[in-house]
Amino acid sequence: MNEIPSSVLVVDDEVQIRRFLRTGFELDGFTVQEAETGAEALKCATLKPSDLVILDLGLPDMDGSEVLGRLRSWSTVPLIVLSVRANEAEKVRLLELGADDYVVKPFGMAELLARAHSAMRRQLRASRGEPVVKFGPLSIDFAARAVFINEQRVTLTPKEYRLLQILAQHSGNVVTHQFLLREVWGNDHIDDTHYLRIFVRKLRRKIEADPTQPRILLTELGVGYRLVMSDAPATAPAAPTVSVAVPAPVPASAPTDIR
Amino acid sequence: MQSSAELSTGFRPLAEPTADAGVSPRFAGLWRQLRGMAVALLLVGLTTAVAMILRNYLGILRGAVLYLVPVMIVSYQFGVIAALTAAVAGVLLSGYVYFAQLYSFQVASPQEALNLVLFMVVAVFVSHLANQAKQHTTIARKREQEMSDLYAFSRRLAVAPNASEIFVAIQSYLASLVQRKVILLGAGNDGSGAAAGTPEQLRAEVAKAERDGGDERTIIDVNGNTWLIRRVSPKTPAFGIVAVDLGSVSGDALAGMRQRIDDALADASATLERLDIARALNEAKMRSESEVLREALIGSVSHELRTPLASILGAATILHNAPALAADERLHSLTGVVRDEAERLNNDIQNLLDATTISSQQVRPKLQWIEPVDIVNAAVEHRKRRLAGHPVTLDLDSNLPIVRADPTQVEQALMQIIDNAAKYSPDGAPIRIAARSNGESVVLSVHDSGAGLSVEEKSQVGGRFFRGPRLAATTSGSGLGLWVANAFISANGGKVEIESEGIGRGTTVSIHLPLPAEAAPLEASIDE
Repeated sequence: MNEIPSSVLVVDDEVQIRRFLRTGFELDGFTVQEAETGAEALKCATLKPSDLVILDLGLPDMDGSEVLGRLRSWSTVPLIVLSVRANEAEKVRLLELGADDYVVKPFGMAELLARAHSAMRRQLRASRGEPVVKFGPLSIDFAARAVFINEQRVTLTPKEYRLLQILAQHSGNVVTHQFLLREVWGNDHIDDTHYLRIFVRKLRRKIEADPTQPRILLTELGVGYRLVMSDAPATAPAAPTVSVAVPAPVPASAPTDIR
Repeated sequence: MQSSAELSTGFRPLAEPTADAGVSPRFAGLWRQLRGMAVALLLVGLTTAVAMILRNYLGILRGAVLYLVPVMIVSYQFGVIAALTAAVAGVLLSGYVYFAQLYSFQVASPQEALNLVLFMVVAVFVSHLANQAKQHTTIARKREQEMSDLYAFSRRLAVAPNASEIFVAIQSYLASLVQRKVILLGAGNDGSGAAAGTPEQLRAEVAKAERDGGDERTIIDVNGNTWLIRRVSPKTPAFGIVAVDLGSVSGDALAGMRQRIDDALADASATLERLDIARALNEAKMRSESEVLREALIGSVSHELRTPLASILGAATILHNAPALAADERLHSLTGVVRDEAERLNNDIQNLLDATTISSQQVRPKLQWIEPVDIVNAAVEHRKRRLAGHPVTLDLDSNLPIVRADPTQVEQALMQIIDNAAKYSPDGAPIRIAARSNGESVVLSVHDSGAGLSVEEKSQVGGRFFRGPRLAATTSGSGLGLWVANAFISANGGKVEIESEGIGRGTTVSIHLPLPAEAAPLEASIDE
């Protein structure tokens, strides 16, 4: 899909992980650089900047979050973190440090590619400044502050719009509770997750065909929310644990049948 | 009148037996004797005054027997020397007051000689009796004290909730017995607290006793104090070592002290044996060792097992989607097997890790407000492949109250229940997952139309490692799933309920999450 092949820097100390990541990315049309340590990763990122960084947290020479912090001091390159344990607090910390998204080991290649493409697309759009973004049936006109579902105008309250806008700006990538609360309600309400629960429920009623089976505004349990572009490319038919791949048509009434 | 007033003066030392505290022990005896003699002379003098008053005003001329009163008082109170002093002084003064050469101090008449002998016999006899009576009283009091100490000790043992309480009781009991320092080591505690102020020599000796066991031993420390070191129980080393400071005792006193400590420890260890503390202590020791092992295991399992698993799963997903293999149906399905089994292995590892966390009681829910529907959707998404063979119906109330719980733990529990539903119902059998509120709690339920449960199975299911024998041969599993689910939900203040109409008639397992006491704020208050 890319005219010029995108490049990815894979940072992991496990040779077998690097091997399958290299194969996976090459099959998807990437050119791949590898780094085994944090120091090597920083050197590569400086000498030959890539379009994407895949960063493992368990590096032998320095903590993954330190690599992330140093990289972010001068680069906005899309970056996906590989974490071993499903530790929500850790994920949130890394996202706040500037990671675009995370994938928990073990993971399927399709899941990683989906995350990677979202992160790169966001970067691209940020540089282009697109006025209108589409998420399946949902489209948001940032210039007019207008939201449409299947071309029908939807009325949102200012806070609902602000919430949707922030999620849309990070489209495809997870946005933490804390970030959303800070941006929409301010620093005093950073722990009031129930605000989010209530507003997300209201938003889903307005933009989702079935609010109990969201297809656009998805929850990342314990971490945050993501707005999904349902035209995401990484929808291999039986890809494992692809929480992004949701091509199935949505029946309007509950109970819902899923297969 | 006067005499009785003096009597009460004479008894005063009884009320203040430690009036001479501060005088060194060596001189205390002498001081006491001198005081006794002084009191004797004083009482004899007073008796004389009374006798003279009686003789001069009432004409009583044979009152020598009056002098027995001071003799008896003094002999009772101060012992034989003071009593003899009183006897001699009494005979001399009675001679002075009553006998031939009035107001002279000679023992002249045989009557006086007889009085002297009589007084002395009374003095010796009464002081002996008094002494015995006092000894008996002291012993009785001491026994009473010991009995009440022992009683308090055994009461303390009986209510002690754990071994360390029991050892604190032993320590304080022994300390009250010897009235000196007692150090207890190696029983449930490493003695590090007690060892802080312990002399080096003593510590070395205790270490030796711990290593070699064997008989009790005594050492003398740098301050000249004798320490008795022995096992609490000669039979059971697990009860640890006790070191008792006996002070500067020797010979018989030492032997007596040792005997009493032996008796006390024999009682204590009998109690400990009866309470089966040895086993508990050994278990506690093993537990703390296995705790360390477990920590290490958790770390290495998550890393050492999951890293290769990540490579296998990652590579399998690439192979599965590779066009070269997709062409051959058999190869394509094989890569699917590798991928699915790697995923299953990963879930099993997660189960084991969860079980480890639960048994080390380290489940600490991170409570936050959660949308119940989100939990169901996430669990279903993560178990999508597991559910592939079953038509799944979701029945989710879109207007459920939000609840406070740890989202990851509740999701993990729900995934376990979904796994079971898929595992114990035949391919094609429908599974229904619902989220409803019953007014008290939000209920997430998974209903299958599979194997069901007999009454007996229902009572056992949910136990750790329980697997129904009826299906154990045909389905795989660790028997941890429901146990893990139950532990997670309990930690979050909820409960797991299992319903089945009987064998072959399906099972419904539901998670009940209590509604928060205070409802979430109204929407209006947080909008704009």
